Amino acid sequence: MSALRRSIATILAVAWKEAAIMRHDKAFMGMVVAQPVMMLFLFGAAVTMVPKDVPWVVYDRDQSALSRRFVEEVQSTGYFAPWQRVDSYEEGRARLARGKAVALLVIPEDFRRDALRGRPAVQVLTDGTDPLTAARVTGYVSQVARQFETAPVARAARGADGPLEVRQEFRFNPTLDDHRFYLAALAGMLLTNLCLSVTSLGLVGEREGGTYEQMLAQPTSPLELVLGKLVPYAVVSYVVLCIATIGAGLLFGVWPTGSLFALAAVTLPFVLASLSIGVFVSTVARTSAQAVFLTVFFILPSMVLSGVMLPYQLMPLAVRYAGGLLPLRWYQIGLRRVILRGGGIEDVLGPMLALTAIFAGLLLLIRLRIRPRLD
Amino acid sequence: MSWRRLRTLLQREARATYRDPFTMTILVAVPVGALLVFGFILSIEVHGLRLGVHDANGSAASRRLVAELAAQDTFRPEPFATREALDRALVSGGISAGIVIPPDFDRRLQGAGPGEAAAEIRVLYDAGEAVLAGNAEAFLRGLVASSVARIVARDAPAPELGAAPAGGSPRGVEVVTRALFNPTLDGTRFMVAGTFGFVLSFLTTLITAVSIVNERLQGTFEQLQVTPATSLEIFLGKILPLGAVFAADVFLMMVVAWLVMGVWPAGSALFFLAVSSFYVLTSLSLGLIFSATSETAAEAVQKTVLFSIPLVQLSGFAFPTRNMPAAVMWLAEIFPATHYIRISRAIYLRAEGPLTLLPELGALFVFAAVLIGIALRVMDQRA
Repeated sequence: MSALRRSIATILAVAWKEAAIMRHDKAFMGMVVAQPVMMLFLFGAAVTMVPKDVPWVVYDRDQSALSRRFVEEVQSTGYFAPWQRVDSYEEGRARLARGKAVALLVIPEDFRRDALRGRPAVQVLTDGTDPLTAARVTGYVSQVARQFETAPVARAARGADGPLEVRQEFRFNPTLDDHRFYLAALAGMLLTNLCLSVTSLGLVGEREGGTYEQMLAQPTSPLELVLGKLVPYAVVSYVVLCIATIGAGLLFGVWPTGSLFALAAVTLPFVLASLSIGVFVSTVARTSAQAVFLTVFFILPSMVLSGVMLPYQLMPLAVRYAGGLLPLRWYQIGLRRVILRGGGIEDVLGPMLALTAIFAGLLLLIRLRIRPRLD
Repeated sequence: MSWRRLRTLLQREARATYRDPFTMTILVAVPVGALLVFGFILSIEVHGLRLGVHDANGSAASRRLVAELAAQDTFRPEPFATREALDRALVSGGISAGIVIPPDFDRRLQGAGPGEAAAEIRVLYDAGEAVLAGNAEAFLRGLVASSVARIVARDAPAPELGAAPAGGSPRGVEVVTRALFNPTLDGTRFMVAGTFGFVLSFLTTLITAVSIVNERLQGTFEQLQVTPATSLEIFLGKILPLGAVFAADVFLMMVVAWLVMGVWPAGSALFFLAVSSFYVLTSLSLGLIFSATSETAAEAVQKTVLFSIPLVQLSGFAFPTRNMPAAVMWLAEIFPATHYIRISRAIYLRAEGPLTLLPELGALFVFAAVLIGIALRVMDQRA
């Protein structure tokens, strides 16, 4: 019991020393404040996958009132820039090839005649180079086409629709606004940047400065040393979490809908795991330049593979499993459950378990690497 | 400007680079790793998505609808006994979308003639995953509509030729779609072409920034500056070997993309190589500026990283610039990477040549001229 108490006292002593250093590091304090502001702006207002002002051209061979109405209905979805007319198929294709248009709508000569007989058809050619935009644009046009009334019939006389009415409901985000999606995971991105860079540089810096050997010479065990270094950063992480959450709420109206306790709970194992990755990197790197390279090239794939920006559910299976090793994957799952879907503590137990497992694995690795290094 | 001095400087830089195993590893591992990671992540094909089904009807028609949905690879239906259980699964992320079939589904479906209300089903999406829901929406809606049309067609007597479509409503236009340049809407080519922009902007700047700061820390940069070498010679002595290394990197990435992913420029590979090598000069100059204005390696790296955060998000590498608000769109234009990525995609995917790309090439040229000019001035001042 007294051994444990002594151990905790040692950890706190190391934490105190680390906090004192941190307070005087202007660049670090700048990072704590500047990065959240920049990322809030980027993900809250700047980037989105929802197409806007999509340039498109129409080759209308029918030139009837009906074909014009169809074009106007597509236009009125609001995703497109004002349409432009082309007079031949080749001209339209050439616009696509030069990237001047994303879609070419071809309305055949007998569009109106076919409409009277039964089912008319149109052709949509898209620029497939940007698959996401192409798929969505195709979807928007198809949706208009499915609803399009080809004959001016009194609606009340018929069934409201075909044989079936599909009612769609977008839960947790009725306008399907992807800024909410990104903002909910903002804390994850900020904390990954923060935790990894502070610890990976810190330990190497001490080795370069010679203070690492001094610390090893003290009666502290290596693990106590590492944990002591983590404590102040864990506290800073909660400050950043508050900045991100309150910022997203005040500026963009994305307040957490679930339990704040769950939010705080799932953050702890994530921060510990991320900090440990930084510590591990610093046990591998020999110079601070190397530590930086390793950190940066860990952070970037984790942004991409974890699913904070693109849905991980659509990635190939192998990539999906590889992403499961990243703390950010589990944290963003937990964050979005709590912030967007109103989840409680029982919804984040799974992610917390995974994060704790990653943390434990990393501690083991660090323990193995840190022991024999007093070169 | 003396050729002999320049040659000595070039040899020195080349040897220093090749002797450093860590840098050499980074130079090979990062481009290849980035290709492999980014190449596979953009997928728009919805595949094996878990779809909760609450079938309150339990009739032959509703069961057939569920079976039709399961027949495609797109969705994996999972039955839920109550609506509450389905809602709960949406919150916990167990399912990405849900379908609720009302108790009177089959009766309404049979009776859906003129004058009667149509059958109705409810589709719920987990829009918290906004991007995924956006992709799944068009898919699921289309699938449900066509499945129901098949069920109705099988139950009802075959309509007369040329009669109005099922349900008798004068609705619906058939859409024949085709995606040019990429018929399968495969994301790999798009991302591979963008990855060149990412690697050539970020890795080059970072390596240059660190290399000069490290030299300054070791004192070898001051030694260089007291030699008779002019700042232009020192600049070229730094830029040219690194430029050659990154030109080789471009080639390596092209080969890897071709062998592993089967992606090769649709346009001229030589033109692509030439433009990329030219673009490398821009990034290298930027790295020189960062490092010449920083006291420590950490500071140079921080500048590079801070600069590269908007690079990933604003350059169009991940998010199309067109979707951004107008002000941000203009901001994106001042990143050289935005223009390079546009060119890279145009050559790789649409086989565009120099003529149609003149405005973008011009923009790159201006950036290169300005940045090289600034880099030279900054190095002069430090001397």
